[in-house]
Amino acid sequence: MSEGLWLWLTFVAIGSTTVLTRGSFIMLGEKARLPRALHRALRYAPAAALAALVAPDILLDEGALQPFNPKFAAALVVLFFALRSRQPWFPFIFGMGVLILLRKGLGW
Amino acid sequence: MDTAFRRGAREGWRDFLPMSLGLVPWAVVTGIAMRSIGMSPVEAMGMNLLVYAGTAQLGTLPLIATGAPLWLIFLTAMVLNLRFVIFSAALAPAFHGHVWSRRARASYLLVDGVFAVGSEKMLASDDPEWRWGYFIAPSAWAWCLWQTFVLMGALGADIIPRDWSLEFMVTIALMLMMIPMARSRPMLVAALAGGLGAVLLRGLPLRLGLFAGIAIGIASGFVAEHVQQRRAGT
Repeated sequence: MSEGLWLWLTFVAIGSTTVLTRGSFIMLGEKARLPRALHRALRYAPAAALAALVAPDILLDEGALQPFNPKFAAALVVLFFALRSRQPWFPFIFGMGVLILLRKGLGW
Repeated sequence: MDTAFRRGAREGWRDFLPMSLGLVPWAVVTGIAMRSIGMSPVEAMGMNLLVYAGTAQLGTLPLIATGAPLWLIFLTAMVLNLRFVIFSAALAPAFHGHVWSRRARASYLLVDGVFAVGSEKMLASDDPEWRWGYFIAPSAWAWCLWQTFVLMGALGADIIPRDWSLEFMVTIALMLMMIPMARSRPMLVAALAGGLGAVLLRGLPLRLGLFAGIAIGIASGFVAEHVQQRRAGT
């Protein structure tokens, strides 16, 4: 993990994106308008980015494509509970439960 | 006392209250997740105060954990926060004519939930003081809730055994943010293409595979939307 001053610098850098994006048009006022095409493209950015962060974590095992791994199994459980239950804690409890069971219980 | 402000504040807070409770599990998980990659409670709360954006906080944790370069972390946070540009553009008329300091506070405090619940009423009102009250009360409430429960998660993380693969909480949280987004067909296409792109292009230098994946995802979503519209049109 990044440490010390560098870590705090990282926080400031990440925090600046919060204020820059949230403040963009609020600070500029009504003079500026968001182009329509850009508006539509931006809608897809969060979903694409989240998937791009999650997919390598659950599909790769030590850098190689390996869908049969404990994280992927746990991710399927998370997906199931996210779609099937309204309990906000269930995906966390059962996802972590399956991962811990597979790793520690079965030594996978 | 400015009664328009107070009336706006009361109504804004009341409208947002039910939804705001949904922040609690997220905040606790975010607190635990920041600790899980090795941050101290002080560092976790420092990040929480400076960033104050759950998606960007959780999304950058895997990168911080592996000591990724600063520019990569910055760009990833930017992409994860890009949706706020849309919210900001939509809400800008409601802040028109307000002093700089108010707009600056709004630039830090604007969160998804308050936007989702309140943007319509804010834009419909022609009383600037009412609008400010209607925005700032639920926003300040969201901030207090978030900071409080992140702190509880950050302090409570110590009671969970170290070898429980706690960092997977981050992945679960990111999945849970993504799944409701992917309800529409183009959004699902964007997510699948983004994820697969990032996996297949992981060998690119400088971790550019992540951004290549995101770009592929955005482009695919855009194309899928056009295809869908064309089909609906004929």
